[in-house]
Amino acid sequence: MIRFLIEHLIQLVLVIFCVATLTFLLLRLSPGDPATIMLKTNDVPASNEALDSLRTELGLTESIGSQYVQWLKDVSTGQWGNSYVSKKPVVDELFERLPATLELAGASLLVMLAITFILGISTAIYSEGLLDRIGRLMALLGSAIPSFWLGFLFIYLFSVQYGLLPSMGRSTWQHLVLPALTLGLGVGAVYARVLRTNMLDMLNQNFVKAARARGMSKRRILVFQVFKHALLPIVTMIGTSFAYMLGGSIIVESIFSWPGLGRYIIESINMRDYPVIQGYVIFTSVLFVAIHTIVDFIYVLVDPRLRVR
Amino acid sequence: MLKNWNVQRKLGIWMVLAACILALIGCAGTEETSTNKGTKEESSDKKATLAFSWSPASLDPHGSDSWEVMRSGTAETLIKLNEELEPTAWLAKSWKQENDTTWVFQLQENVTFHNGKVMDATSVKESLQRSMDKDQRAKDLLQIKSMEAISDTELKIKTIQPNAALIASLADPSTIIVDVATIDAKDSYPAFTGAFKIKQFNQDESLIVERYEDYWGEKAILSEVTIKFIADANTRLMALQSGDVDGATDISVDNIAVLEKNKKFEVLTATSLRTHMLMYNMESPLFKELAMRKVVDMLIPREEIVSSVMKGQGTVAHSPFSPVLPFGKVENKEETESVNQLMQQEGWKKNAKGMWEKEGKPFEATLLTFPQRPELTVMAEVIQNKLLAEGMKVNIRQVENIDDTLANEDWDLSMYSMLTAHTGDPQYFLEIFYRSNSASNVSKYTSPSVDRMISQLSQTTDFEERNQLAIGIQEKINEDIPQSYIVFPNTVFAVKDGLKGFVAHPIEYYYNHSQIDVE
Repeated sequence: MIRFLIEHLIQLVLVIFCVATLTFLLLRLSPGDPATIMLKTNDVPASNEALDSLRTELGLTESIGSQYVQWLKDVSTGQWGNSYVSKKPVVDELFERLPATLELAGASLLVMLAITFILGISTAIYSEGLLDRIGRLMALLGSAIPSFWLGFLFIYLFSVQYGLLPSMGRSTWQHLVLPALTLGLGVGAVYARVLRTNMLDMLNQNFVKAARARGMSKRRILVFQVFKHALLPIVTMIGTSFAYMLGGSIIVESIFSWPGLGRYIIESINMRDYPVIQGYVIFTSVLFVAIHTIVDFIYVLVDPRLRVR
Repeated sequence: MLKNWNVQRKLGIWMVLAACILALIGCAGTEETSTNKGTKEESSDKKATLAFSWSPASLDPHGSDSWEVMRSGTAETLIKLNEELEPTAWLAKSWKQENDTTWVFQLQENVTFHNGKVMDATSVKESLQRSMDKDQRAKDLLQIKSMEAISDTELKIKTIQPNAALIASLADPSTIIVDVATIDAKDSYPAFTGAFKIKQFNQDESLIVERYEDYWGEKAILSEVTIKFIADANTRLMALQSGDVDGATDISVDNIAVLEKNKKFEVLTATSLRTHMLMYNMESPLFKELAMRKVVDMLIPREEIVSSVMKGQGTVAHSPFSPVLPFGKVENKEETESVNQLMQQEGWKKNAKGMWEKEGKPFEATLLTFPQRPELTVMAEVIQNKLLAEGMKVNIRQVENIDDTLANEDWDLSMYSMLTAHTGDPQYFLEIFYRSNSASNVSKYTSPSVDRMISQLSQTTDFEERNQLAIGIQEKINEDIPQSYIVFPNTVFAVKDGLKGFVAHPIEYYYNHSQIDVE
């Protein structure tokens, strides 16, 4: 187990270093001068002096090599540099927005899990029935409908027409309902389909035949025997989805004016706020590697055979 | 039998559920919005909620967030631009010019910052000094050499060189007056002097401002205003329709018709100080000749663009400055020669396909556009079609960062949009956009006579003379055509019936103010 942890830790450091360096270089190669963009926020032109002064202040007049060294120093201090726009440390900026994203990711995960398990198990039990057909339709719609469209549809229906829920923002639990549904609904329906297929595939396994021979009902076998085995691939998918959600759902956060990381990173990309973009990439890299490590642990818990391997 | 009954029962349940969902969707179009969550109808404690499109990164008034701070109605400058866009007294009661470079400002009395501290000449001096230290734009606008607090209410300002635009420049949000000691305070918000003071700032989300009871001027009617930052135009519209907000800024022209159908909403428009234009690269082999720029300029279907692309929400433009400005009324001189005459004079001939060519090479130009202002791309397509009909091929290229492409690549034509007189004065824009050596002179336009006239403008203090000079500069620019001005777009706001005083203003930083009321 210790070896497992050390291996994953080395992997984490390597991945983050490579991703961070690549991001740094790609950002410097991409078009867009942060000074021009920042000074032209309101479409008012900027003078030569203003542009030069801001470029010097932001360190953009230095060579790429020295900017990289400076950035590595900033990363090593744990501050990850200061945002060009707010002038505050990037770490503070990201952590200020993390609670909102965590809240949305958590709620969306609940929606997603509820739909995956309820719909997945019930469609497996009543396979080829009406419910199964509805599940198939939902999965089809879930993967076909873009989240921005679904989000606007929800706002139109539940806020504009019926006034049942707030259209945007974050303050009460009601504000969370529509963005969480938008994020969780489609993915949940797709995963439910995967769970159903896995469960039905398991029905041909020997242990199922043995259970049936012992007189267990199909429903009982599905819920208590098959479900556990069918869960394994779903755990990986859920882990990856959760990592995406923690990184901030850019589209859903923008539509619902949700003050999380996704919306923040879009604004930072528009402003070419290099330190924030670089910090965000490090942050999401850590998240992905950490969540994949956790998923590996859950694998072992769910399937004890992996401990032997 | 029993199995059959079970199947029928399940089918029945699902049919009822499906019918409920269909009914929910079906009823959706029949009901008008009736919620009123944003406004509390209490005469003594009225509140309103507004939706703005931009969110400030901080409340520091000296830097990139100055406009957002100003829009909140919490901050003031020494000078304010009135409805006619003329500089009028605000925190400065009056002013006089002692000589070319020296001005004395008489400040309003009884003004206090939101922390209760009295605003005097020393605090104004400290604030202006900070704005110049923090924001190069303020330094460029003000060109201040030194400041001296003569008394508690008198401030003397000396400029580096004669700066006739100083008064108008003091209306720029980058010169907001603040108690500088409060800006970096961790346990309080910056103390300004406006009719509202900051109650709560929720990063990326909202800014709540409340009435400042000791305000020196006319007190705010509303006790509290919540400003929600909604970047997405569709969400902003639906927040208004759902009643989550009482008023919204920057309504897309495509959404105006939706709001106008419903009597519960009012659409408010004003001609903005913004100009959408087509720029020529004066160093491009194709457009270095004036005749070619004239041809394209003549072929731009401006009326068609205003009516179809802008849905009537704009005014045809023939000069950089909006006609609402006193120096924006420039006479449009019609070209006497036809397109064919101009082309033939330059050695172009029409080939068998009806396309213009010169020395065997057909006319082919690249027109840049960018996604941040989608209406410009539609305009580019209209222009492309018009030129193609006249035998000129134009290829549209959409770029992610227009300024970067303009500065670093070869280009022929580009769509562009500029706020040309954000302080109601022409000098800053002319200096930055048309001076031969300016980095923001993206068309690479050089004209010694225009440079000379701009220098003259900076030293002319008489209002009428300045306007005439600015008109003269524009006439000279129009002769050279470094850009073709297409449209002055309207600023579009929308409010729920009952919200009074929240009006679209040509100046884009006066949004929330003391006289906004709700019925």
